[in-house]
Amino acid sequence: MDTWGQLLQGFQVALSMQNLMWCLVGCMLGTAVGVLPGVGPAVTVALLLPITTKVDASGALIMFAGIYYGAMYGGSTTSILLNTPGESATIVTAMEGNEMAKRGRAGPALATSAIGSFVAGTIATIGLTFLSPLVVELGLKFGPPEYFALMVLAFMTVSAVLGESTLRGMTSLFLGLAIGLIGIDNQTGQARFAFDIPQLLDGIEVVTIAVGLFAVGETLYFASKLNQVEEKLESIKGSIWMKAEDWKRSIGPWIRGTLIGFPFGTIPAGGAEIPTFLSYAIEKKLTKHPEEFGKGAIEGVAGPEAANNASSTGTMVPLLTLGLPTSATAAILLSAFQQYGLQPGPLLFESNSALVWGLIASFYIGNVMLLVLNLPLVGLWVKLLQIPRPQLYAGILVFATMGVYGMRQSSFDVFLLYAIGLAGFLMRRYGFPTAPVIVGMILGPLAEEQMRRSLSISQGDWSIFVTHGISAILLAITVVVLLAPFIAKQLRKRKAA
Amino acid sequence: MAVAGGVLAIGALILGGSFYLPTGGGYAQVGPGVVPRIVSIGLIALGIVLLREAFTGGFRGVDEEAEEKLPMDWVAFAWVSAGIIGYGLLVERAGFVIASTLLFALVARGFNSRRWLSNALMGLVLAIIVFAIFNYGLGLTLPAGVLAPLLK
Repeated sequence: MDTWGQLLQGFQVALSMQNLMWCLVGCMLGTAVGVLPGVGPAVTVALLLPITTKVDASGALIMFAGIYYGAMYGGSTTSILLNTPGESATIVTAMEGNEMAKRGRAGPALATSAIGSFVAGTIATIGLTFLSPLVVELGLKFGPPEYFALMVLAFMTVSAVLGESTLRGMTSLFLGLAIGLIGIDNQTGQARFAFDIPQLLDGIEVVTIAVGLFAVGETLYFASKLNQVEEKLESIKGSIWMKAEDWKRSIGPWIRGTLIGFPFGTIPAGGAEIPTFLSYAIEKKLTKHPEEFGKGAIEGVAGPEAANNASSTGTMVPLLTLGLPTSATAAILLSAFQQYGLQPGPLLFESNSALVWGLIASFYIGNVMLLVLNLPLVGLWVKLLQIPRPQLYAGILVFATMGVYGMRQSSFDVFLLYAIGLAGFLMRRYGFPTAPVIVGMILGPLAEEQMRRSLSISQGDWSIFVTHGISAILLAITVVVLLAPFIAKQLRKRKAA
Repeated sequence: MAVAGGVLAIGALILGGSFYLPTGGGYAQVGPGVVPRIVSIGLIALGIVLLREAFTGGFRGVDEEAEEKLPMDWVAFAWVSAGIIGYGLLVERAGFVIASTLLFALVARGFNSRRWLSNALMGLVLAIIVFAIFNYGLGLTLPAGVLAPLLK
């Protein structure tokens, strides 16, 4: 079947009453957690993983995906009205958007970011629709050594490219890999690193890690450090609609932001941080109103917001076609697939084509829902921002502990959660990124499997990874990505000397 | 410095553990011990570099000055910690509702809200709603604990 046929089939799945409802629930939850500081899409999806035992795969995955991209819409509302970006990808929006809000232009700022997110999300979904079959075609040619090399590349880009320190990123990744080792080795059935504690035999649940690092760690950090900082919530004055001039100044940045963001999402380089900064820099160069930048230029909101959204949709390409997660939330989505015994990758497009295409079709629908949820109904979400911090964080922790305890009914998990929360606090304090931990723990066991499978094909000969063409190229790129910053630094030093 | 030492310690622990796992042989050629060994060597190497950074002027790229401006509020930290640990101790003995109410009140106190009574009430209402949704709506059982006669 051609792409059109499959997409139509996908719409049939996504437009069923039930799936439309899951999509709406996901989009609303996503917007809510995007707006609220202290919880993000990763924690929310992790806490909701248990519903996979009750809901069918397409419904649950459509909802989880809705949470994922819904949070992108909601996050921008918070960064515009409250100058504390919920996530690193919205730092730029916070810079320009908050300035606009301070000047009484919160309405147009919210509008341009919501419409920009819609434009970018839709174009990126079209990109996803037509790019995926091509990547699947390529992926079908891959054997275990290629997959292993691809995963190593993803590890390096997720941990080394992002954040200010390659060293700390790599440390986080290896900690994640170490956590992934705990439990029963799935090829020989041998227990590893369980220390004779029966609760560790099944491995540590991703829920415990995600909730510990993101919710508990964040709460500890906020309570003990940031609670001393005053926050000022800007109110929305006047109309939220954009004037003709605002439209004229937004369209270009939306399109350019999308074109920058989508490719960044699709290559396994993860993260929406770089494309948003790039988009901001480009709009600053191209604008006819350079004097407004830093004082609330609408282009500086429109472009980065579009880039942010396009790249988050782009992340779905490697996740669905190759099973490669390049962000924390994508990694948790991968584990949601695993709950159903599904493994995202080229074979999923053949064996579960209705599910995959239904999911892709739901992105088109979800983006329309989110536009409605975030533009006329923006006032509703602003109310969420008015929840006082003490009660907000207390409530978040009630849900967090309930999710972790309820999963296995074991208070051991609650203490483990606290220990991981402490680790999360230290990581936050000393600037260690947390996303590589999640990616490492979920992708690690898969990479190990591919590695050992390759080595059993080659009968223990490690050279299989360099004698297979594609695998060798991928590993070479990995080395370049890892070493490039060091070499650049050395060259600059030599020039300076 | 302690952080770097911790990374090093975890690496050493895994390296030690990997010696108990077979690394070769069998049909698979590679045993369950190989990857742990790679990971442990990686962690030890990273720990050493981190330790060197810590001794030579702190981790690169962490804005220590900005951190100093916000002094660590250990009291708040302790309130939140007490809430979670208390929850772990109480959830099976006293039940979900009581443990959650206490958690809510302690975390709110950690965020400098001193209205104990209203916070406890809010926590109680939230806990009862969540309990009702999960136990009656979704069929997941959360422990009722000492309040069992009231809730069932």
